[in-house]
Amino acid sequence: MTHSLHRCGDTAAEKDFVWLMYQSKGINDEEIAEKAREFIEVVEEVGSVNWGDVKSGPIVALSKEEVLDRIGDKSRLRGVFTSKEQVTDFLTRISEKDIGLSVVIAGRLDLILAACQKADVPPHTINFSLGVFGNTDRLPEYTVLEITTMCGHHMVPDGIVENLLSDVRRGRISARDAAEELAAFCPCGIFNQVRAEEVLRAASRTG
Amino acid sequence: MRINEEKCIGCLVCTAYCNVDAILPTGDGKAKIDPDICVECWVCYRNDACPHEAIERTPLESFGDTFKHVISDPSETTAETGVPGRGTEESKTNDVTGRFQEHEVGIAIDMGRPGVGCYLYDVEKVAMAVAAAGVRFAGADSTPLAKLMIDPDTGKLQDDLLDLHVLSVIIEGKVEIDGLPPVLAAIREVEGQIDTVFSLGLVAQVDEAGNTPVLDMIEECGLDTPQRGKVNMGLGRPLYDG
Repeated sequence: MTHSLHRCGDTAAEKDFVWLMYQSKGINDEEIAEKAREFIEVVEEVGSVNWGDVKSGPIVALSKEEVLDRIGDKSRLRGVFTSKEQVTDFLTRISEKDIGLSVVIAGRLDLILAACQKADVPPHTINFSLGVFGNTDRLPEYTVLEITTMCGHHMVPDGIVENLLSDVRRGRISARDAAEELAAFCPCGIFNQVRAEEVLRAASRTG
Repeated sequence: MRINEEKCIGCLVCTAYCNVDAILPTGDGKAKIDPDICVECWVCYRNDACPHEAIERTPLESFGDTFKHVISDPSETTAETGVPGRGTEESKTNDVTGRFQEHEVGIAIDMGRPGVGCYLYDVEKVAMAVAAAGVRFAGADSTPLAKLMIDPDTGKLQDDLLDLHVLSVIIEGKVEIDGLPPVLAAIREVEGQIDTVFSLGLVAQVDEAGNTPVLDMIEECGLDTPQRGKVNMGLGRPLYDG
């Protein structure tokens, strides 16, 4: 699945890096809970603003312990960093831990590859995003897309984004609260509420 | 999904929760869900879209209903692949599985994405176009769409499922690196023949600097150099060694 790959928007450039922890079916997919706890220890030390498990939900909606307690062998842990420095720090620490699960970072390639070099963790495989094709007239307005693509499974509906953006413009809700409300829709925990707050605030000024 | 008419007060609050505009006013002060448009993602149900609890789950009785729910709701796990989300590990575990070799390029066509949804007849058009250009599709043990293909050589899907509406589904395959240009040409041609969108990803093993001959081919085919990517860091164990 490529739900973390095709995020839209200029603000994605330097403040939005998705991390994924992945086990492979039939190869290294046993005793995941213990490995996941080790993995999350590193993630927390580095400071991931959101993370979660698609099987239970994100930490913006559940407590961290709840997410960890529900982890099973089918769980997939994912989350988001907000700086390239965090990516470097994370790669350094997670490679030292040698947990043995696949580690993936999605975001702007030049920044990720620079982090790889600094952390001395060479990349293995890249899924390159070539963009959107087909009947693009059917896409929603760009601001909505900037937010909804932060949950690549599209669990954040366009209509909710439009309603909350309208509420931010009218002063009924702060951009931060609206961003956190939106983050709770994404079960994986890869929605970046810090970036969403910026997008909403900027859009509310121009709207 | 369905709306219980007795509980519905016609406020239409729920419409904002629908990813595919399947919730419609009935004309008599109520709302209804069009089952042919609904993708069974359960976003409306899970997020308590109705203040009067009028949104109810319907039994997933047919294979089509089950497929569209499992592929549209990432909390579900695809039985054949054993993977949640949209049912595939694709490049995320390539360090361990070796699914995409050094001499190959992976094709990941994310149909209906971002956020438009797609009917399987459009998925079939794209699958058949890239198959004719040389793409070999992933098997049913690693990607959900393969289960619907009656002919993996051509990309033909089951006729009785072509009108099925899903939030998104990935067409996954690979070619030898030298075979990429005709595939990209086929993608550019077929994109004008569908009423939805797709996001395109190309998967390749890279050197320490992140380079691959695939990047030159992308440019030679007139496409923009990719700025974003998903990088597998090679930290999975045991590392695939052929």
